[in-house]
Amino acid sequence: MVSFDTPVLSTPASDIVLEVENLYTHFKTDDGEVAAVDGISFNVRRGRTLALVGESGSGKSVTSHSILRLIQPPGRISGGRILLRSARMGDIDIAGLNERSPMLYKVRGGLVSMIFQEPMTALSPVHTVGDQICEAILLHQPVKKAAARDIAIDMLGKVGIPDPAHRFQQYPHELSGGMRQRVVIAMALVCRPELLIADEPTTALDVTVQAQVLGLIRSLQREIGCSVLLITHDFGVVAQMADDVAVMHRGRLVEQGTVRAVLKNPQHAYTKALLDALPSRHALRR
Amino acid sequence: MNTPAPAPLLSVRGLTKHFPVISRGFRPRVTKLIKAVDNVSFDLAPGETLGLVGESGSGKTTTARCILRAVQPTSGEVIFRPPGLDTVDLVKLSDGQLKPLRQHFQMIFQDPFSSLNPRMTVGDIVGEPLLLHGLARRMEREERVADMLQRVGLKPEHRVRYPHAFSGGQRQRIGIARALIMRPALVVCDEATSALDVSVQAQVLDLLKELQRELQLTYLFVAHNLDVVRNFCDRVAVMRHGRLVELAGTSQIFAVPTHPYTRLLLSAMPSPDPDFPMNFNVGEELARLDATAVS
Repeated sequence: MVSFDTPVLSTPASDIVLEVENLYTHFKTDDGEVAAVDGISFNVRRGRTLALVGESGSGKSVTSHSILRLIQPPGRISGGRILLRSARMGDIDIAGLNERSPMLYKVRGGLVSMIFQEPMTALSPVHTVGDQICEAILLHQPVKKAAARDIAIDMLGKVGIPDPAHRFQQYPHELSGGMRQRVVIAMALVCRPELLIADEPTTALDVTVQAQVLGLIRSLQREIGCSVLLITHDFGVVAQMADDVAVMHRGRLVEQGTVRAVLKNPQHAYTKALLDALPSRHALRR
Repeated sequence: MNTPAPAPLLSVRGLTKHFPVISRGFRPRVTKLIKAVDNVSFDLAPGETLGLVGESGSGKTTTARCILRAVQPTSGEVIFRPPGLDTVDLVKLSDGQLKPLRQHFQMIFQDPFSSLNPRMTVGDIVGEPLLLHGLARRMEREERVADMLQRVGLKPEHRVRYPHAFSGGQRQRIGIARALIMRPALVVCDEATSALDVSVQAQVLDLLKELQRELQLTYLFVAHNLDVVRNFCDRVAVMRHGRLVELAGTSQIFAVPTHPYTRLLLSAMPSPDPDFPMNFNVGEELARLDATAVS
């Protein structure tokens, strides 16, 4: 029997980069408050990848937005603790920070950064790709504009964009979907965050482009040494990318463990049903 | 007792669709031709499910739309043999000649939100094809709508409701009911389950299989998800850059893909089994493939 209320992983605290404890996020509606995230606890281990998997409406994106304090009214974080155990800045309880606290701005984009699903909405259409990456650098690093430019071009090269100095001056609409997602990745990783939240990073992409983008996230993760919280609905992506997995259903975590344990030997009925629904496992009634 | 194989329901021969790119200026000129569909040929046997897969821009949807004459192909033949009716080449028919035939080939769309008119009740949506073709009087129409709704797993009393009251999976069932109420021989499913969650997707695929058996349907199943195709289709056609690169039986194409592009596509699929690692280096291999194709 798997218990879901106790802290799951018995690793020493220093091995953990993010501790989420009893997190509740509520949304006010006409019919009272709805718990989109209903008391979940999980840990992200340092240098590892945790996949948060679930169907639409399960609360996985609300969880990731809560971690960066991006929840807007009528939603609010109504309880729990989000402890970032930063190697650079010490322990920070993100849930307890004031909305205007300077620490929150250091966390967002500096210590924790995010890759969004839809690269066109994550990028500003009226600024060049280069300016958008430089903005992130100038906000978080004590460098001059010329130096920021060099760092940005270097980063564009690292994410596999050919002729980065030229692309630096281009606007997002001049790039393909895969290239845009690479720019978003460059923006997210240029400040060497300790935790990267990737919210459905490849859902909008073709299979071959998806493979390249996933490969890129993996190799940069190793290079920078950051941890990844991967939000996805695709068990294929979970199996190929993550070390640990947490399955979310209706705002709660129904099961968590290592990828191998959960995918090969699911304990909870919902996880089993979800895996059985996969086209590769689902025997069609012929 | 060996009966000869039945004639294909649909024979596509040399289907081509080119889109001209016209320069803007004082004297507009055709500067480039985009070959969206380039000399595509295949047969579709009655009762068969053929998967048409490829990445975005490969021409799979344009192929499907050419077959249904939603767009006029540049050249080629689409020989359609509806049971009990004369064999026709859909490409050559005029719009007027085509209209009475349209009931025999129908389409299920990808997006269950934009493909249903929000101002019409479910009964009106599902019954509209009958009305347009003048096939059934009011009472009979109501009966057939109620029957069809039941077949797709909805209730007859859902007739009076509007699409917004239904979930994505239920809306897709409404779209299926609308396509099947004409009792078509050929159904084109254009990414029919792509917008759905896995568990809902599995239910809709089961439903499509069940209806295929009950109503003797032939499916042309356009999809980008190879996993879905693998379990749903009898044969698979792989498209790239407007061309058909490989066409074979499903088990064969997944076990021994012969075309290098098919092999690459399959290797890039993230398997839900951690023991089957995927290929992250597809980009370089694709570039190499294109380089050898050009030289």
